[in-house]
Amino acid sequence: MSQVIVGQLLNGVIVGTLYGIIALGVTLTFAITGIVNFALGAFMMLGAYGTWYLAAEHGLPYPLAVLVATLGTAVLGLVADRALFRYTRNDLINGLLVSIGLIAVLDNVVLMIFTATPQALDPPLTGSIGFLGVFLPKMKVVVCLLLILTVAGTWLALQRTWMGRAAFSYAQSAEGAKLMGVRTELLQSGVFVYSTALAGLGGGFYASLYSIDPTIGNLYVLKAVEAAILAGIGSIPGALAGGIILGAMESIGALYFPLSFRDAYGLVLLVLILLLRPSGLFAAQR
Amino acid sequence: MMKSIRASGAAALLALSTLGPAHAQETLKIGQIEAQTGPLATYGWINHQGAALAVDEINRAGGFEVAGKKYNLQLVAPDNRGNPQEALIQLKQLLERDRVKFVFGPFLSNVFNGVEPYASQNNGKFLLMGGATSMHAAAGQAGKDYVVRTWNWDGGEGGFGSAMVAYLKQQGAKKVAMLMQNDAAGKVLVDTYTQIFKQHGIELQVEMFEPGTKDFTAVLAKLAQGKPDYLFPGYVDAVLHDIVRQATETQLFTRFFLVRGSLAPGLKNKDQIQDYIVYTPKYFEEAEKTEAKTKAFVTAYKNFYKRDFPYDVAPLCSSACYDHVYMLVDAMKRAGTVDDVAKVKAALTSTPYKGVWNIGYTGSEAVFGFDVVHMKKGGAIKVTSVDPLKR
Repeated sequence: MSQVIVGQLLNGVIVGTLYGIIALGVTLTFAITGIVNFALGAFMMLGAYGTWYLAAEHGLPYPLAVLVATLGTAVLGLVADRALFRYTRNDLINGLLVSIGLIAVLDNVVLMIFTATPQALDPPLTGSIGFLGVFLPKMKVVVCLLLILTVAGTWLALQRTWMGRAAFSYAQSAEGAKLMGVRTELLQSGVFVYSTALAGLGGGFYASLYSIDPTIGNLYVLKAVEAAILAGIGSIPGALAGGIILGAMESIGALYFPLSFRDAYGLVLLVLILLLRPSGLFAAQR
Repeated sequence: MMKSIRASGAAALLALSTLGPAHAQETLKIGQIEAQTGPLATYGWINHQGAALAVDEINRAGGFEVAGKKYNLQLVAPDNRGNPQEALIQLKQLLERDRVKFVFGPFLSNVFNGVEPYASQNNGKFLLMGGATSMHAAAGQAGKDYVVRTWNWDGGEGGFGSAMVAYLKQQGAKKVAMLMQNDAAGKVLVDTYTQIFKQHGIELQVEMFEPGTKDFTAVLAKLAQGKPDYLFPGYVDAVLHDIVRQATETQLFTRFFLVRGSLAPGLKNKDQIQDYIVYTPKYFEEAEKTEAKTKAFVTAYKNFYKRDFPYDVAPLCSSACYDHVYMLVDAMKRAGTVDDVAKVKAALTSTPYKGVWNIGYTGSEAVFGFDVVHMKKGGAIKVTSVDPLKR
């Protein structure tokens, strides 16, 4: 029994890192542009389809396909920011409406091009790693490590670079940052585009683990927002930790309760945490 | 002068009489409501492909004659993507706008459940020829004369499910874990197979999952704790690909038993599985070597679609697909009508048809032979043919 619990905890951690990477985008975008970008799920879906299309249909090596798909998603993120989201800065409602509209457009464009039929990549890495009777697919482990490295790299960049410090200062005081010479418009666009690139990267990794269809991003972005709120909006390591907690909660919950209610287990946890710590688990660590 | 006028008049009459049959050839619209795309599209896609191929063949051969009148066919087949609301609108358009009297599909139970009230209101005005699991309960019932279920039923004495479970029992299975979608078809399958496994003395544990689930690792681990001999997962390939991959990667399950879905998920993971037993209405790889009609169908498909033959999903064409278009035309010819649906239904269900499949009917439900395909690690395949009509 303990083997099963350990196995599912580890699986939850791995699945949670995927929630975490989108949650990181959610938290960064909210902190700097003042909107909750639900369209990050659609950008994740674009990253997944881009990766599948380049790797499965055009024979690009998987790592290169992920890289190109991530860059492509970032370019689309830039277009979306310039065309739409720069007009919704610090306007939560308008930002929400635009992001929901964008989801409908992106989902349906992909639906028209690739149809609703799920697509699946051949696993770029097969086999599993076994220890103490628990077997973890190698691809899942690699994806988990790469996502943790990405979050750690983002956190380090925010701590150690001028741009990162500018972002922190802007999050604390927009006026103060402007007075100190921070080019706030550039900063906001940069963070928005980086968030979409993170979503694209998450999608690229997702495509190596599961079959994909045009709606995959919708559930993931809800989980990501849950994870970001659970952790406390604005916390970088918290976004990852929130995703991992959510993933683990779902995996363990599905062991003891019906799988049909799997998505509810995380929500129950979120409600409990918000009752005890309304600002989220890691809010103090901003 | 009079002579030349008479000659011209005779020539004109002759010309008209020779043009006559071509002008008299009418287009008969037949409909199809299937999911051609989407997560549940495996069955609908191949059923549409097969029906369109048969329609093309019939038209190329000059159409068909019923009661002295020549017809060609037009297949009106919108894609409902497995969405019952879309299917309902499409069925209304087929019946009310296109005046269609013969509709193929649906294969999906949720789609049938969605269109069933409207279809029942139009009982007697059309035939709905589909393989949906939930159509079984409606077949032969009062007020459901429009229902012609085109697929083998799982349960009962002659049911293919009983034969499949009997085969599984021969393999030494004592306990099976069933992992099904929490939807209409999934629930019917759980109810049906709970009885069949009980009859064969095989213990069954059941878990349901929501459509759209992608990560099955936790529920697979939960099921594996009961140490079942086989996993009996899902009913569509979109889900089966994820389940079989995750089950084998985590080494929680390597033995699979399926009564819906195709061989494809097993083939994709053939080096990781131990056993992959699947109900296959025809194992084309073997059948095309020995059956002329099967070989002709494979060739015709390749020529028509200019692509490789989909060996993995082609067996699902045993439902309202290629053969059933020919069966319908044959029934209309024998009934001498393209309008009287009751006569056409009687003709369709009363005489066995020998096409790619040998299809007979018991009441309003089809019965045909099938293969139990048992794939072992590495892809080695053993085929056991079963003919329910001879059992």
